[in-house]
Amino acid sequence: MADQSVDMTSKEPPLWLRRALLLVLSVRDRETIFGDLLEEYQKEHLPSEGSRRANYWYLKQVASLALAQALGGSLLKQALILSSSFVIAAGTWLGVMENILKHSGYAERTAIAAGIAIQGIATLLFCLLNGGLAFRILVATGAMAILFVGGSAVINSLSAPHFEGFVIVIGAALIVEALLTFAAVLRSRQRAAA
Amino acid sequence: MSASELIRRDFRTCGSALPIDSDSFYVYNVGIVAEVLGAFEQAVLLTVVDLDDEAYGRAILRGAQIGLMRELAAGAIYSTLDRLEQKGLLSSHLGEGTAERGGRARRYYRITAAGVRALNESRSLLERMWQGARWPIKA
Repeated sequence: MADQSVDMTSKEPPLWLRRALLLVLSVRDRETIFGDLLEEYQKEHLPSEGSRRANYWYLKQVASLALAQALGGSLLKQALILSSSFVIAAGTWLGVMENILKHSGYAERTAIAAGIAIQGIATLLFCLLNGGLAFRILVATGAMAILFVGGSAVINSLSAPHFEGFVIVIGAALIVEALLTFAAVLRSRQRAAA
Repeated sequence: MSASELIRRDFRTCGSALPIDSDSFYVYNVGIVAEVLGAFEQAVLLTVVDLDDEAYGRAILRGAQIGLMRELAAGAIYSTLDRLEQKGLLSSHLGEGTAERGGRARRYYRITAAGVRALNESRSLLERMWQGARWPIKA
């Protein structure tokens, strides 16, 4: 490993940008791509363009890597992004409707709807960023909760006297979301281990 | 033998091994179509061959920009390198870090035998597709 005692704090891009880059990069690429961008920032952009334009260049690199992270990847990841987006929309819609209609027990159901939306957001962030073990455990735990909620909703709706189609659809989406999340968490664990 | 010599040799072998009017041509051709690389992937692989021992992320980005004559996004290059490595067309290893990189290592890429084969097959397929066509094509 090369000499790390060189003081380069004044030559580095802003801390928040460097942190954003680390969030976007996978564990495997954190050292190499981070180093590539730092090298080019210091050798080419900072001396010739000044810190403002060099920081803008760095921001563009982070954005392009984030975009590649979001759009690229496996079919599983793309399916999870799609299902998370649906779950966020469904959770938000349920919460809003409960608060408009205000039937008895709406506060409890609003809390469940908020939980569903939050789990959707967490899963979406899990897809777009490369969180650590604690984040993966959190997302997997949330997936277990929505699996329970979705499963209960489907079973209760099928056995209820009044058939509620939207409950079946949202319940099924929650089950799919949970199963996809388990698969993605398992895969990311294997990739991190490799 | 260097990667570029290997490509030239493999290309000659590939080109001469295609019996155009036999059934085997069609079987082989289906295989090629399944393996054919996009222009972007070809540009990245050719840049890796060209840079030889100096093929790391940013150098590949600059080389591919020259080859394709347009500005490329870092995300596009790094995700393509990752994909080509997963396909087994590239291999990589970590080099030494330098002070200007804050001691962080560079990831160097090399083309694999499968990568050489895929490049040659892509070139061979394109040449066959264009055989007999008048260039430039007029509407």
